[in-house]
Amino acid sequence: MAGTSLRTYLLTRLALVVPMVLILLTLVFLLMRVAPGDPISAALGGHVPPALIKQIRHQLGFDKPLLTQYGTYLWDIARGNFGTTITDHRPLSQIITVNGAATLELTFFAMLIAIVVGVVIGLVAGRYRDTPLDVFGRLFGIVAYATPVFFLGLMGQLVFGVWLNWLPTSDQASPITQALLKTHTNILALDAVIDGNWSALGDVMKHLILPAATLGLATAGIFIRLIRVNVIRTLRDDYIEAARARGITERSVVYHHAFKNALVPVITVVGLNMALLLGGAVLTETTFNWPGIGHALVTYLENRDYTAVQGIIVVFALVVVAMSVIVDFLNAYVDPRIRY
Amino acid sequence: MDLKWSSRRIVLVAAVLASLAAVAVVAGSSLAGVSSHHSTTASSVIVDGTTDTVVNIDPANEYDYGSFTVDLLIFQGLYGFPHGAKLEPVLATGCKASANLKTWTCGLRKNVKFSDGNPMTSADVKYSFDRVLKIKGDQGIYTLLSNLKSTTVSGPYTVVFHLKAPQSTWPLILSTNAGYVVEKAKYPFTKIAANTDPQYGTGPYELTKFSPGQQAVFTPNPNYWGPKPKNGGLIINYYSKSSTMKLALQKGDLDMVFRDFTPTELSSLAKTKGIVVHSGNGVVIRYLVFNVKDAPFDNLAVRQALAYLMPRQDIASRVYHGSVQPLYSMVPKGLPGQIDAYKTLYGASPSVAKAKAVLAKAGVQTPVPVTLWWTPTHYGDASADEYTEIQRALNASGLFKVTLKSAEWAQYSGALGKQYGAFQLGWFPDYPDAEDYTVSFYQCGAFYNNQYCSPAMTKLIEKERAARTTGARIAALKAMQMLAAKDLPTIPYWQGKMIAVSKSNVQGINGTLDAAFYMRFWELSKS
Repeated sequence: MAGTSLRTYLLTRLALVVPMVLILLTLVFLLMRVAPGDPISAALGGHVPPALIKQIRHQLGFDKPLLTQYGTYLWDIARGNFGTTITDHRPLSQIITVNGAATLELTFFAMLIAIVVGVVIGLVAGRYRDTPLDVFGRLFGIVAYATPVFFLGLMGQLVFGVWLNWLPTSDQASPITQALLKTHTNILALDAVIDGNWSALGDVMKHLILPAATLGLATAGIFIRLIRVNVIRTLRDDYIEAARARGITERSVVYHHAFKNALVPVITVVGLNMALLLGGAVLTETTFNWPGIGHALVTYLENRDYTAVQGIIVVFALVVVAMSVIVDFLNAYVDPRIRY
Repeated sequence: MDLKWSSRRIVLVAAVLASLAAVAVVAGSSLAGVSSHHSTTASSVIVDGTTDTVVNIDPANEYDYGSFTVDLLIFQGLYGFPHGAKLEPVLATGCKASANLKTWTCGLRKNVKFSDGNPMTSADVKYSFDRVLKIKGDQGIYTLLSNLKSTTVSGPYTVVFHLKAPQSTWPLILSTNAGYVVEKAKYPFTKIAANTDPQYGTGPYELTKFSPGQQAVFTPNPNYWGPKPKNGGLIINYYSKSSTMKLALQKGDLDMVFRDFTPTELSSLAKTKGIVVHSGNGVVIRYLVFNVKDAPFDNLAVRQALAYLMPRQDIASRVYHGSVQPLYSMVPKGLPGQIDAYKTLYGASPSVAKAKAVLAKAGVQTPVPVTLWWTPTHYGDASADEYTEIQRALNASGLFKVTLKSAEWAQYSGALGKQYGAFQLGWFPDYPDAEDYTVSFYQCGAFYNNQYCSPAMTKLIEKERAARTTGARIAALKAMQMLAAKDLPTIPYWQGKMIAVSKSNVQGINGTLDAAFYMRFWELSKS
């Protein structure tokens, strides 16, 4: 019964993706066209005659009625044709694979840092409540969460890149490494491993530290507070008292009983924070010149590139939805009390 | 608190510390590893940073400076500026015009090969021109060939261009990116090659890797007909923010930067040990455009008063810290035929008295409320300070009350002249000749919609195009500049220097900073 309800739930969620994406596409389509300016003027204005700009707009169909443009766009999407960007004629699929891979690399390591830092500090803070360790953990969580991610990045560049000169301040790898590394997956760390190029791997990892830490710490702040609260709450539960009464050691009570149960809500938050992570990635990528999909979105937005912005927003939406569905599935799998 | 340390905990902590140490060792050895692994390559490869972007590498649809920088390294035209600001035959041995200047016959250099080893012939040249006109790419480069009726060949090493109207400056058009020669067998006739497709040109480099928005990697073209580049290759790294690029240069990730730092960043770099700021004659200009049918700018006296008050020296020193120079003509200094027409008519420095007099004579009540438009997202961060300086000077005269308004480029570029009465624009040339700084601005229906259309100017444009001698052409160009200074459809105010910043071990940069506005990377080397 539980399996059937979960299957039904998942199928329903997947079916709801279509109208959700449609609504999002429509909103983005309208907003981009309502905003003043267009990609042709942005690219050619100030250098070519207005008659030529008008001609090019006509060639690309931007002078057609909005409804016609909308219909054409939806028809192309339905056939799997996300088009090419208007400003630099890149296929959307290439942006998603190449730039998306860079964002995936960054967000993966950022989430790793967020989880490790968040779980460790949250656990310690919750376990040693109202001690200096707890105060430090809470303060760290608040500061990490409240600090704008781009400011954190700039400070990281200043301290570790400039003053201490320990770490690089931008890009995925040094120029020579990036030039010589063969492209297999567009994830440079993986490509270096595939090639067995350990010096390149080291270079790539070194370049990852600052941006991943910047993005990860901002998210870790949320995890610290959540895990701390959950640990404190769980430690007050009856079954914990019962375990203590049975003579189980405190360490075992905390790590084998309380901690695992305290982590269950974290699964939900980790999944939902992917959306925040993607949003934070936009700022982090811009600060560190990281060639991710967020950085690309900013550039295409500035140039009013309708096709690019619409396509990238759809990708973001699909990623968030996918994470949400996976989180729901994991929750139901981990906690048999959950029914859909 | 239970703080007993069990052996299990010690093992766990030790494992974590060991992992962190391993990562640190790998990361720490990376720089040494990279340096030793790439020592021979790294020592001769120039790594350049830029904030330019690449739109299209295929020359049939390339019309922005970032794409031009890439194309300059891998493609060539029949004419060009290989050694400075002097136009010279490159793939051609020379071109001869017919008596009526409507037919140009060009001989081609023999033994020129594309980067894949295939020989270049007249068929490739004809194909390249036909292709540009067929595709009519959305970047608009084909408009430079608007006077070309057809291209024919006469044997494998002669190309004939048939023009619609007489044009003495046709070789200048052949030097633009619209005239770059591509290999016929490798480029489709009706569509643009993708940026990540292999590119085949006759230039000193071949493009071995292009990562959009990240990096372009060039190695010397093994089949190049000319002298080999002085370096072992070139990497151009792309940055969206100049501050990030500055850090990369200071940390040694870059050997040099060409385009663009802010004036403040340049000042800071000039004081940095081991970094050199190179400066030469540039041809980028900034100017104020008037919609001459839009009040109050439809009144010539108002435009004249603004011309008398333009604070060029203050803009150059206070805003740009000397990285630009005052400009008194739409044609930048250094180009043949340039005259300081605005200085002649309105003086070298602002004059409140003369501005006041001209407004009084026209019966214009002061202060005149005017709105000046500028954009923060296309011409650099200094634009805000630039227009604040202009506002300060005009308001201080008591003759104007200036309101500044701005819009980001995507919106701004679509509203030029249509909604704005007076607005900021900049220009870099299609080709470094005074013609590109006059005809483009003064012809009726100019690209910026300012409603300026003067029969006298139109006659001068026709005279310049049909001039049979250099002297006649220069005379026409000078007359155009004087007439424009009188009619005031625009007020030019600064000319940028061509600036590159490098580590002190990079040689050859100064020799490439000239009015041609090319960065001839093939002349650069590292010690």
